Amino acid sequence: MTSTLIQVSHFSYRYNQESEVALKNVHLEVAAGEFVAMIGANGSGKSTLCNALVGLIPNYFVGYSEGRITVDGKDTASVSVGELSQTIGLVFQNPFNQLSYTADTVAEELAYGLGNRGVPRDEMFSKIKKIAELMQIDELLDKNPLELSGGQVQRVALASAIILEPKILVLDECTTQLDPIGSEQIMDIIKKLNESGITIVMVDHDMERVAELADKVYVLQHGSIVLGGTPEEVFCSPQLAEFSVSPPDYYEITKNVIQPGYREKDFALTESQAIALLQEVLYEDRNQEPQA
Amino acid sequence: METIDNSIAVLVRNINPITKLLIVFCLGIGCLIYPLPFVGYGILCLLVILGILIGQGKQVLKLIAGFGIPVTLMLLFIQGLYSPKNITMIADFGFAQMGLEGTMYALKISSTLLIFLAAFYLMLQTTKNSETVAALTQSGLNTKIGYLILASLNVVPQMQRKVKVIQEAQESRGVEISGSFIQRAKAFLPLIGPVVLSSLTDAQERGMTLEIRGFGINGDKPTSYIKVETTSLDIVLRIIAICFLISSLIPRLL
Repeated sequence: MTSTLIQVSHFSYRYNQESEVALKNVHLEVAAGEFVAMIGANGSGKSTLCNALVGLIPNYFVGYSEGRITVDGKDTASVSVGELSQTIGLVFQNPFNQLSYTADTVAEELAYGLGNRGVPRDEMFSKIKKIAELMQIDELLDKNPLELSGGQVQRVALASAIILEPKILVLDECTTQLDPIGSEQIMDIIKKLNESGITIVMVDHDMERVAELADKVYVLQHGSIVLGGTPEEVFCSPQLAEFSVSPPDYYEITKNVIQPGYREKDFALTESQAIALLQEVLYEDRNQEPQA
Repeated sequence: METIDNSIAVLVRNINPITKLLIVFCLGIGCLIYPLPFVGYGILCLLVILGILIGQGKQVLKLIAGFGIPVTLMLLFIQGLYSPKNITMIADFGFAQMGLEGTMYALKISSTLLIFLAAFYLMLQTTKNSETVAALTQSGLNTKIGYLILASLNVVPQMQRKVKVIQEAQESRGVEISGSFIQRAKAFLPLIGPVVLSSLTDAQERGMTLEIRGFGINGDKPTSYIKVETTSLDIVLRIIAICFLISSLIPRLL
């Protein structure tokens, strides 16, 4: 039986001096080892939910909240963000916000969180070396983090969260500054982390990626979860367009190419599914060609 | 093979930041206490020589000339001509007389300021901010105060970068930032608002980052990646600095 790591129970939140609620009666559960994606239009409350999951709401932001969030059994309202950080890590949308601004080198930046936890210096070295190799930032270790490019800082930001070995990793559009290849490399790492048992909660606008990686998808609109389920359940929902979300391109392509009703599945959500389906159709068509 | 300059620079770089801080304060305060200004100028010459040896001579001289000459002239004008302590007159300019006591006082203040300036400059050029704060926290300074010092030191280059970004953004939309002093001043004014506001937003986000990276977790004693060692050279230098401070007190006590 998989245990529930995150439990959001009818959680609502309104920022101080704002008339609109940012989160409205959000209710969801995330099991240990799950890969959960949160999608929705800009301003739908995704980042607010991320902040709530790591305890920044209600501990850091001033506002009004109702309901309860528990992370690994701890109520986020009654423990400090620092204490929660031992279980749950967050990677910000803007990687420059992830930096401590106390480090003269990337190695020092990576060591910052470890130092706060009292990790011995010798252990820091081995952890930094390991994470630098994983994130392909070994050549940057002696450079000043403030002098790196956006993509490089994004890798450092992610590494600074992963090095703390959290049970849960919350990623708020963490590849926005990376080029497509860099983004793919990072996603491969995240996939491997998930396979090693780390629970991932990811906010993303790349639907192909969401369909490929997520076990569960939640659609947010105006602070509420309006749709949730497996990628198939969500992306095949006729309501999806109402929430300003488009399904992956593979879905549109296969839906337009494949004649409905002949197969058990006449659509694909991921690249591999689309290739398999189109190969199947092409093979059938070739076999049906009249013999000369 | 390392040149002499480089080996001296490495030696200075490896001195414990606490030792450097102690030297800066002992030199500055010692010169302020000592009744005559000549000791201060002698030390200033030594600092310039040290700057030259570690490859910072040009910058140190520029700093002394840029700040020291105008400040010294200003102090000489005010104290030398108009100090109430003036008894012995050394020059007559017609509109005012220059007094020895005021002149000596002006020279002492200017030498002290220049020593602090040059010594701090050399310290900053040979020490990383993070090393200074690591040394201070290892000596018992509260980590929160240590962060405050470090973040304050690091916020300056960050704001400079921000000014550059905003300036480029405004320039790309037709704001003229080059030209006469008045034109540049005019272009600088609209920068202040966005830079201050974005720095305030940054401060809030920085707070969030620190929280999620475990700043101030209860129970764990923070450790540091930077190891600052105290060598026998540090001990010798500290003793010399303290001896200098004490010896500068002797003429006052006698």
